[in-house]
Amino acid sequence: MDIIPQLIVNSIIAGAIYSMVALGFNLIYGTAKFFDLGYGVLTAVGGYAVFYFSRTLGFDIYISILLGVLIAGLVGYLVEKAVYKKLRARKASSMVFMVAALGVMTTLQAIIAILFSSQFQVFPATISTQTFQIFGGVITGVQLIALAPSILIMFGLVLTLRFTKFGKAIKAVSDDSEVAKMVGINTDGIISKVFFIGSCIAGLAGILVGFDTGIEPTMGFSLLLKGVIASIIGGVGNIYGGVIGAFLLGFIENFGIWKISGEWKDAISFGVLILFLLFRPNGILGKKQ
Amino acid sequence: MDYFVHIAILIGIYSILALSLNLIVGYTGLLSITQAAFYGIGAYVTAILLTSFGMNFFLSIVIGMIITGVVSLAIGYVLSKFDGDYFALGSFGFNIIVYSIFLNWQSLTRGPLGIPGIAKPVLFNIDFSNNFYFLIMVAVFALLVYFISQFITRSSFGRVLKAIREDEKAIEVFGYNTLFFKLTIFVIGAMIASIAGALFASYITYVDPTSFALSESIFILAIIILGGLANNKGAVIGAVCLVILPEALRFVGFPSDIAAQMRQVTYGLILILLMLYRPQGLIGEYKL
Amino acid sequence: MNILETKKITKHFDGVYAVDGLSVGFEKGKITGLIGPNGSGKSTLINLLTGVIQIDGGSFVISSKEEISKILPHEVSDYGITRTFQEVRLFEQMPVLDNIFVVLTKRNVFSSLFETHKKFHLERAEEVLKKVDLWEKRNDLAKNLSYGQRKLLEIGRVLAMSNGFGDDSDIFFLDEPFAGLFPEMRKIVIGVIQHLKEQGKTVILVEHNIDIIRELCDHIIVLDNGKLLAEGIPNDVLSKREVMDAYLGE
Repeated sequence: MDIIPQLIVNSIIAGAIYSMVALGFNLIYGTAKFFDLGYGVLTAVGGYAVFYFSRTLGFDIYISILLGVLIAGLVGYLVEKAVYKKLRARKASSMVFMVAALGVMTTLQAIIAILFSSQFQVFPATISTQTFQIFGGVITGVQLIALAPSILIMFGLVLTLRFTKFGKAIKAVSDDSEVAKMVGINTDGIISKVFFIGSCIAGLAGILVGFDTGIEPTMGFSLLLKGVIASIIGGVGNIYGGVIGAFLLGFIENFGIWKISGEWKDAISFGVLILFLLFRPNGILGKKQ
Repeated sequence: MDYFVHIAILIGIYSILALSLNLIVGYTGLLSITQAAFYGIGAYVTAILLTSFGMNFFLSIVIGMIITGVVSLAIGYVLSKFDGDYFALGSFGFNIIVYSIFLNWQSLTRGPLGIPGIAKPVLFNIDFSNNFYFLIMVAVFALLVYFISQFITRSSFGRVLKAIREDEKAIEVFGYNTLFFKLTIFVIGAMIASIAGALFASYITYVDPTSFALSESIFILAIIILGGLANNKGAVIGAVCLVILPEALRFVGFPSDIAAQMRQVTYGLILILLMLYRPQGLIGEYKL
Repeated sequence: MNILETKKITKHFDGVYAVDGLSVGFEKGKITGLIGPNGSGKSTLINLLTGVIQIDGGSFVISSKEEISKILPHEVSDYGITRTFQEVRLFEQMPVLDNIFVVLTKRNVFSSLFETHKKFHLERAEEVLKKVDLWEKRNDLAKNLSYGQRKLLEIGRVLAMSNGFGDDSDIFFLDEPFAGLFPEMRKIVIGVIQHLKEQGKTVILVEHNIDIIRELCDHIIVLDNGKLLAEGIPNDVLSKREVMDAYLGE
């Protein structure tokens, strides 16, 4: 059997999921200006919310998905209100933000594990169990469905940023939050909304992973890392770059383990990260320093 | 009684780890989140040398320190290219890579199965499989590390480290090659962490990768931030608090798997609350 | 005799020349004023000569030795150069005394490990801190000082580099040391600069206050758009029309 088409399909699926995490992460980094290491855990929040509503409470799967996305958004929003907003008011250093974000990550992850146990869980197979053959590679229905929202979200974000007043406010805050404040933009309000939107995207990514493979409390961690690496490959804070970086990472990972064991995936991604940090710290789209 | 000896041994081991990381984070201002990697290298070197070659425990500590020293020199050199947030992120990455190696280099580390049956040392007819003697040994090492840390941080070298933390460019123009200073302390910190690893491996008699995951690095970071950065006593106080606190939770009556998660909730919340209300920790001399 | 000469030094940022083929000399043992409107390249020149930013073209010569076209920050003190920063840069979370000790002690990694401050370090630090009126504040953290005291501490730190042991500096770049100071503090800084001159040191002073320039400087160099506009003794240069135009014009 020819393995290359399958590797390509897998790379694209991985790229689609990573690109969502990278999009949200970049959006938050752009406005709040710190590496939100607690961002990844919101994927688990989304995933477990769907698990709870559909499996435990028996809600309709689509309603569960909607609730899962909203709950992830809400949790992200509340963390921003309760923690980051206060740190911002105090003009805390970016190290303080990172340490606080590590705390958020650790806490939420453990709370999920307490509520749902740290076992790997699978969603009820209600959406699609079909598989399709594409150029000799196998793709599941869920995976096909996963591609659609990531593409939609990307275009939606681009259009929002470019053409709406809200998008322009986000851009103003990203460029210079002090100036934005002076021209009358409610920067805290914008950042809170960005956290909500970014966290919704994370929640959706987590839900898609749940349908694709399954969920566990620590899932957000490796997803976050992939999102961060994708962002750095593409240039941190650059929305388009993050997406390109995500697909590139998807390909590097899947082709990287072609000849060696799949267990090395994370090490490969981090090798890529460190090479990029060393040689192209501003990413493939960024200017060389 | 045995239980208290056990807790005291853990406090000793985490004090060593906290002191080692405090040199890097507290004194030099390098937010390194990879200390568990060096802790793990020390543990694995001892585990492998003792189980496969029947080597003397104390000799294995020295070899572990040398290997950790070489690895940390390479990692430190790469990390020296980054500053601030990117340093933290890069160090994060190295923890993941080293963890992956523990997990996947199965011919050496037995992967997720771990390495069991690590012997306890014997020295001058003192058998350290008696936990009380083991505690004394850990205490001796912890004291030694404490005095070395005091010696380093009170020297002119230590003062330069603090200046690097405060403003690296400014201290550079006064003639200090800061790269050498940063690398030196990074390697010293890593080698000290490897001692803790060797003690841990020998005490538990078993090592597996999960003890050296990123969450362990975050835990060590939480210890020094709680106790107070740039203060060696603070590192020890932090270790005492964060080792005892989760044990207290166990007494409250949580089942053990939940207690393990509660430990994470506890130190996660401690990190958040400290950042919000007391970034210098209990007795810290440096605010992030 | 010139202790420091630049030869066609160039630096541009995104195609804009901050320093444009500049060739100037600084005379040994004299106080040279470096003046010019904002953005004329004064601070950039200092940053280039102290390795804080790298030169794009040209070179410079110290004490008539080899031509230097690339210098790293930690190497500049080997050439006897020391400096202050336009925006005060202290070691904020360290006591005042440690801010001075840190430039008095050994530069080598290994010998510094086995050194703590000695009696003669303390005596020297006391001398310096008394000169800048901060001895009483020696145990305060630098970040808790007032604006003026912070400026004085930075002056004290470079003064400690004129110490007769360790890394003794000959060339002192002072980037706007008087900015925002009250008159009594100005007097202290003037005293330090005169003290350095008495010791035979070379001082290069960036300053906007014309009265201070007239009072202190032996020679002034006027920059405009990264180029040399005029140089000479203060009274001559300051009476030139193009100099006043550069300051007032646009």
